[in-house]
Amino acid sequence: MLSMKKINRMVLIATFTALATAASAQTVRVNYIPITDVTPLFVAIDKGYFAAEGLTIVPTPSVGGAAGVPGLMAGAFDVMYGNVVSTMLAQQQGFKLEVIAAGTKQFENPVNTNGLVARQGDSIKTGKDLEGKTVAVNTRNGIIWLFARAWIAKSGGDPAKVTFKEVPFPQMLDALRGKQIDAAFMVNPFFNAAVTDAKDFQLVAAPYREVQPDVEVGHYISTQDYFAKNKETLVKYGRAFRKGVQWYNANLRDPDLVRIISGFTKMQPDLVAKLDLQRLPEVVNLGSVATTVKLMKDNGMITDDIDLAAMTDPNALK
Amino acid sequence: MTIAASLTRGELTAKAPVRRMLFGELARTRLSGAILIALLLLLWEVSAARGWIVSDNWPRFSAVLVAAYRGLLSGELAEILGATMYRMLAGYAVGCILGVLFGLLLGSNRILDWTIRPLIEIQRTLPSPAIIPPLILFLGVDDTLKIFIIMLAVFPPVFVNTYGGVRGLDETLLLTARTFGLSRFDTLRKIVLPATLPAMTAGMRIALSLALIMAVIGEMISGASGVGNYLMSMQYAMRADSMYAAVICLAAAGYLLNRIFLVLERAVLHWHHSTRME
Amino acid sequence: MPELGRKGFGLLSILGVLLLWELICRAGLVNVSLLPPPSQIAPALWKILASGSFLVPLGQTLGMLLIGYTIACVAGVALGLLMGCSDYLYGLLEPLVEVIRPIPKPALIPAMVVFLGIGAGMKITMVALAALFPVLINTLQGVRGVDPVLLATARTLGCSRLETIRKIILPASLPMVLIGMRVSLSMGLVLVILAEMLAAESGIGFLILDLQRSFQVRPMYAWIAILAAVGLGLNVLFEMVEDRAVPWRAK
Repeated sequence: MLSMKKINRMVLIATFTALATAASAQTVRVNYIPITDVTPLFVAIDKGYFAAEGLTIVPTPSVGGAAGVPGLMAGAFDVMYGNVVSTMLAQQQGFKLEVIAAGTKQFENPVNTNGLVARQGDSIKTGKDLEGKTVAVNTRNGIIWLFARAWIAKSGGDPAKVTFKEVPFPQMLDALRGKQIDAAFMVNPFFNAAVTDAKDFQLVAAPYREVQPDVEVGHYISTQDYFAKNKETLVKYGRAFRKGVQWYNANLRDPDLVRIISGFTKMQPDLVAKLDLQRLPEVVNLGSVATTVKLMKDNGMITDDIDLAAMTDPNALK
Repeated sequence: MTIAASLTRGELTAKAPVRRMLFGELARTRLSGAILIALLLLLWEVSAARGWIVSDNWPRFSAVLVAAYRGLLSGELAEILGATMYRMLAGYAVGCILGVLFGLLLGSNRILDWTIRPLIEIQRTLPSPAIIPPLILFLGVDDTLKIFIIMLAVFPPVFVNTYGGVRGLDETLLLTARTFGLSRFDTLRKIVLPATLPAMTAGMRIALSLALIMAVIGEMISGASGVGNYLMSMQYAMRADSMYAAVICLAAAGYLLNRIFLVLERAVLHWHHSTRME
Repeated sequence: MPELGRKGFGLLSILGVLLLWELICRAGLVNVSLLPPPSQIAPALWKILASGSFLVPLGQTLGMLLIGYTIACVAGVALGLLMGCSDYLYGLLEPLVEVIRPIPKPALIPAMVVFLGIGAGMKITMVALAALFPVLINTLQGVRGVDPVLLATARTLGCSRLETIRKIILPASLPMVLIGMRVSLSMGLVLVILAEMLAAESGIGFLILDLQRSFQVRPMYAWIAILAAVGLGLNVLFEMVEDRAVPWRAK
């Protein structure tokens, strides 16, 4: 016979369970740049990995703008995909960021997905050939600018004698054709469009690969504040996200992947199918980040050392 | 017929017959303008098709039309326009209300005028894009930021026009109000407001196009939805045809908004015709 | 002196706002690394001014503005006059103007880069294009609004077309033209800054963005202050010119 006491207890337990489940349906707002590098995020959303951990992801895009870390600091989102150089610059200025997951890494990949492009017919083979000429980068003081300079130096040129112009990626080919720039450090899908047009353009070099083959170009960051207050959530996030990376790496030619990429980048599926996708890392390697930081110091971007271990989530390292 | 319509709106009736005759002629001659536009579009199509101009950012006009058709059909264009419109109207409403409020207050109270107007002058002359980077640091990158930027652009013209309208009020009207013993509030409501209405609506009309422009610019710099963001993301997705399709829709939307405003304005001012100043 | 009193009030209120700003920061109500107090911005501002490093970016921005603005004013007045006096030209050009006007000019950057490249030429064109419309439309309105009695008088006196334009239409429409030019000035400045943010590597607009990106917040605000001064200065200059040009206009 169910007594009043028993019923009350059951109701209490039911309510608690309901509240507990509701509380565990956490929302994480993630800011991303619509490039193929962040595909694992959308794979994890699409395949339900986040949902299985009780997480709801709210992705918001930003395209080449002044947003990014300022937005993160302003609390507009919880996690964002950014480039390593930008993160270190912010850290240097006193903004407390935390690296929570690996993003993009230049593995030993037989095919290039980015690089320095010049007009066909121009003889530009080394950094020395670029002296006195103009090179386009998407933003100055960014990782692309850094590695363009590093490559010029490594291949025998003086970066100080090269003019760097900020040109948005979509405008690089036009500027190259119009002879306003002599070379451009491009990324996909524009890079792909350039190198497949052998009549007009030629590949000069792949700076990332030649300067630091294991460079970590991008990663996912949060604020140290958020990290401290939401450790559990980020552990779950990391788990689900890593599953996304693993699925991605195992299914690089899967048409399902084309669908997912087309969805968030808005690129047409046939364009996506033409792109060479590269493997993405599951863990952060502090050693390679340190090499990049040293490169930043050598190029006058930062002055002090950065304690990388203190700003990286240990879960991202293993 | 925005320019022509705006010309006739404020004119004295003595010029009306001349205007009406011009209207008839204009209706005919605007055909030449339409032909000019058609020719330019044809030039666009041919230059892209024949390879006179080679660029991923210069698709054939026919491709743009196809993209526009697909975009409208799928509802994608409607969605982004809707998002932009929502933000634009929100910022516009707030900016107009504040502009009218401050215009009325500062126009009638000298102390407030002397204290607050210098600050408004600084805000007015500081280009709004310059404020976006610091604002992002506070307001983040969502709707709040964009609505705030729109409001900053809408406020000055509405304020300046309302203020000018109040200051230009005929002294006799105000004296009459005082003679009749009208309260401050009643004077404002029954005399000042109706008399400044034409100036107010002129300011609001200027602000309308500014609101749309700032809405798009805000989205281009820090957007996640709306036309501005769409323009940028179509560029990065190498879909210039869709981008131009959105630009055309934007132009159409701006034109329509202007027309709707003129109709509303005419209706409101017609009602207040008797109290209009000349 | 009411004039002095007015300016005094203005100065007081500006100082008051600065004081409030300082207090809010001191009270810890805002994140100081995002919004530093004036006391921290002032040294950065002083450094920029004293070292003279403000001259080059200022020159670049003002230079582009000046060239674009001049082109816009000349073209705007010329077109406005032509369209105002000739119904045929009006009919021919008005649809084109109405189509281009509502498009936010930054949306046209990709097309402009195809034709004009990424250099100063493209940016000046964008500035000129944006600043063109207020001048054009106001000139048009001014020309069309000229009292027909004046025009009839000119005809009676046997004035040629050119003389009528020079002696009657231009002076009569000047107030409207000046209003348009003033709006165009603000618009031009907004667009120069925007163009510098979207596609440049120098100038005040670019600097503000660059400093924000590298989180050098204090110099960023210092430059915004400089820009505010520039905006105000340009406005004051314009008012002075306006007073000289149309002294008969009641204030």
